[in-house]
Amino acid sequence: MTPWVHIPQLLSAGITIGAIYALVGLGFVTIARASQIINFAQGEFVMLGGVITFSLLKGAGLSYPLAAIVAVISVVIIGFLLHILVVYPLRKTSIPILLIATLGASIFISNTTALVFGTLPKALPSFSGNLPLLIWGVPITPQSMWVLGATFLLLICLYLLSHRTLMGKAMEASSTDPLGADLSGISRNLMVFLAFGVSAGMGAIAGIFITPIFYTSYHTGTLIGLKGFVAAVLGGWGKNSGAILGGFVLGVVESLSVAFIPSGYKDAVAFVILLLILHFRPKGILGSPFIDSRRW
Amino acid sequence: MSFLSVEEIIKDYDGVRALNGVSLHVRRGIIKGLIGPNGAGKTTLFHLISGMERPTAGKISFKGMDIKSMEPHEISLLGVGRTFQTLQIWGNMTIVENIMAGMHTRLKGGFLSCGLWLPWIKRREKEALEEAKEILEFLGLLGRWKWPAAQLSFAEQKILEIGRVLAMKPELILLDEPAAGLTPTEVRKLAERICQIRNGGITIFIVEHHMGMVMEIADEVAVFDNGQLIAEGPPDAVGKDPQVIEAYLKGKRVNA
Amino acid sequence: MVVIDHKEFRKRDFLYVVPFWLLSLIVPDPHLDHLRKESRFRRRDLFYLGALLLLPLIWSDKHLHHLMVLAGINGILALGLSLFLGYAGQISLGHAAFFGIGAYTTAILTTRYAFPPFVAFWASALVAAALAYLIGSPILKLKGYFLALATLGFGEIFLVVVREAHRLTGGVIGIFGIPWFSLAGFAFDTYLKQYYLIWGVLIGLLIFSKNLIRSKIGRAFLAVAASEDAASTVGIKVAQIKLGAFVIGGAFAGFAGSLFACVMSTANPEAFGLNLSILIIMMVILGGMGNLYGPIAGAIFLTWLMDILGKYQEYSLPIYGLILILLLISFPDGFGTRLNIRLIYLISYFGRKKRRERVEL
Repeated sequence: MTPWVHIPQLLSAGITIGAIYALVGLGFVTIARASQIINFAQGEFVMLGGVITFSLLKGAGLSYPLAAIVAVISVVIIGFLLHILVVYPLRKTSIPILLIATLGASIFISNTTALVFGTLPKALPSFSGNLPLLIWGVPITPQSMWVLGATFLLLICLYLLSHRTLMGKAMEASSTDPLGADLSGISRNLMVFLAFGVSAGMGAIAGIFITPIFYTSYHTGTLIGLKGFVAAVLGGWGKNSGAILGGFVLGVVESLSVAFIPSGYKDAVAFVILLLILHFRPKGILGSPFIDSRRW
Repeated sequence: MSFLSVEEIIKDYDGVRALNGVSLHVRRGIIKGLIGPNGAGKTTLFHLISGMERPTAGKISFKGMDIKSMEPHEISLLGVGRTFQTLQIWGNMTIVENIMAGMHTRLKGGFLSCGLWLPWIKRREKEALEEAKEILEFLGLLGRWKWPAAQLSFAEQKILEIGRVLAMKPELILLDEPAAGLTPTEVRKLAERICQIRNGGITIFIVEHHMGMVMEIADEVAVFDNGQLIAEGPPDAVGKDPQVIEAYLKGKRVNA
Repeated sequence: MVVIDHKEFRKRDFLYVVPFWLLSLIVPDPHLDHLRKESRFRRRDLFYLGALLLLPLIWSDKHLHHLMVLAGINGILALGLSLFLGYAGQISLGHAAFFGIGAYTTAILTTRYAFPPFVAFWASALVAAALAYLIGSPILKLKGYFLALATLGFGEIFLVVVREAHRLTGGVIGIFGIPWFSLAGFAFDTYLKQYYLIWGVLIGLLIFSKNLIRSKIGRAFLAVAASEDAASTVGIKVAQIKLGAFVIGGAFAGFAGSLFACVMSTANPEAFGLNLSILIIMMVILGGMGNLYGPIAGAIFLTWLMDILGKYQEYSLPIYGLILILLLISFPDGFGTRLNIRLIYLISYFGRKKRRERVEL
């Protein structure tokens, strides 16, 4: 059967995009663990990483690594601003309002980006050339390797952050037991603030690494954000390992689906998976600390 | 055939055994008290009886029917009502609406017939309002019947919750710590009302920490400690039971 | 020390009471609801009805008529969603999909199968309601964010399906040439006629909603929103109630979609996306939850706002996002509450100020 021929290639593409979904999902989980808020603007951080790097590279003529670093810092600042200006003032209101507020922020960010940077898609040059390597007979671009490598490094950094640094441990404490952490002097608001920064940074890095493979544009953030959220739920909502596993599973399944169904429906795959998972196993693959299965 | 009976109930929560082989019965028409130290499993038992949780093992039957796997709303339809330790009134409605919402199952009508405001719906609403006002009068809340429920004092909200249960016309009411947070005068009034409700033919199963009130109004008392039933019987006997004193009263004697 | 007797009522105070009374005729105030009468309709409703009927005749500006037509359609959408979101307290981020389903049903039935628009109108609502029933049954078990996410997923799937199934839906381009809505030969082909049609439908649906809210169903909605546990212990079937609110919301959106198709003469996927779902939710939030008139007023306001923003071309969407956030931060309880509280405060401040001045002579 002809579709099966493409499987290895689709698999590698799936793993690559899966890494990105994993990072976006981690961004969601980080903020949600600190604050029970779902930040629908998460995908925009990814988009901004790529877009800002592009304009610094082409517009301001900075070197590639410098542009990337400045871009990441800018996005982290934007993440902090998002918390201060939108989330913090609404911290006492109900869920629907917070939801719409982050969605509103997402709309604002994506459309302002269109205004400031133009609506044309932007691509970044690959880090180390475009010549694909042949691994087990499958052509894999070097950029894919970079993406996987970066993902791996980020995960290690995140782990070290949570378990080895004081700030990271404080964030963990705040998410596991908010009242206890509060009583121990850990400011909940500060933790949420930091969580926004960390998520923004992760998203931006993911964006920079993935843009050479897939182009970026003002509207790509929304969809990536949604899929990252699906990935986090799929793997087990609230767990870092869940977000990672979910990301890769989603990436691979979505990529492979193109072999069997018309490619236009590819975007729907993520949402169909979402509906199936929420219906049959809302806890996700690895289980979730937040969801009581009997009540769900 | 016992009115409400619970047999060898075991309830585990993720490694913690909240109830360890509890059996008890409630006869029709009495006030049965359930006392015990905090964490002994009293509210857990209520959750099991009202259908909000499932027992890990054991049987629960009401009026001869096995209710252990039923949904809460199905159990309510059989005639079991309850109040909550954490006070779950509906603050987004007025007082009288809280009571009328309690009558939900006794009012006929679906989405379409209500939306079209068919004549018999209008009539039933009027009747329901009258009945709700009667209940409010019994509770002493009639004067403020149009007030938003959220504006009542804490004690009044607890009374409102009882009123809501009464609106269901239940046969059995599970009261979960109705006296918690009330002043002595309010507790006395509450005790009177509970007795009046019992005299009206409704069986009452009440969890309480307020020893004075429970021992005074209960016909029978059961005592839990650490997920087990350690005594059961008339208040006098239970109050003098050495095991009970040991577990709960810590040496002080209870004046029944 | 000077003691001021606030209970004294002077003739001068009429100056403050009269405008307040006039305003109370117009602006709904949930906090004063305990003074309301038991009847379903009051003087204020007549005032609204009158204003509604006379408005397009007084202002014969075509653009205004067009705007009010759109506002009416949005009003129907907001009304339907307010039952689900405002009363039953559940979140749906995919409501625009039902709007789209209604529009496409009418579009397909009238252009391909020559159904009369009146029949298509009812069919659209039926199809939307049926789909709401199918989707709602499994989804409504979820709570909070997860329900929102599932409805979002549904909305996105709808868009993808519409874009891909071009044989049926015309794909990205959509369907053209939908005939005007007509009843027994009378065609609603001008904005003025459409205005009366749409607001007439809105009023009918509003009466239906009011009846629901005043009955046991409305109380059940509120009970489920405030405490599902307590609701189930009085015998309310929580799942059924949520599903009912969802289906009714979907049906209303179906009606709105059908009217939209007849007014715009075209149907294409871009109009039915997440942006619209968010807009409708904003209408309900701004109008106030637990309110029927509020969301309609919110619909009028936001339709007007979008129109103004549209003049700014490419700046419109970023500003829109910004305004959304600002509105949410300033009015999380809806316009009505803050407006009234501020008015009361303002008026009583002047009253007190006058009295203070007199005493300190």
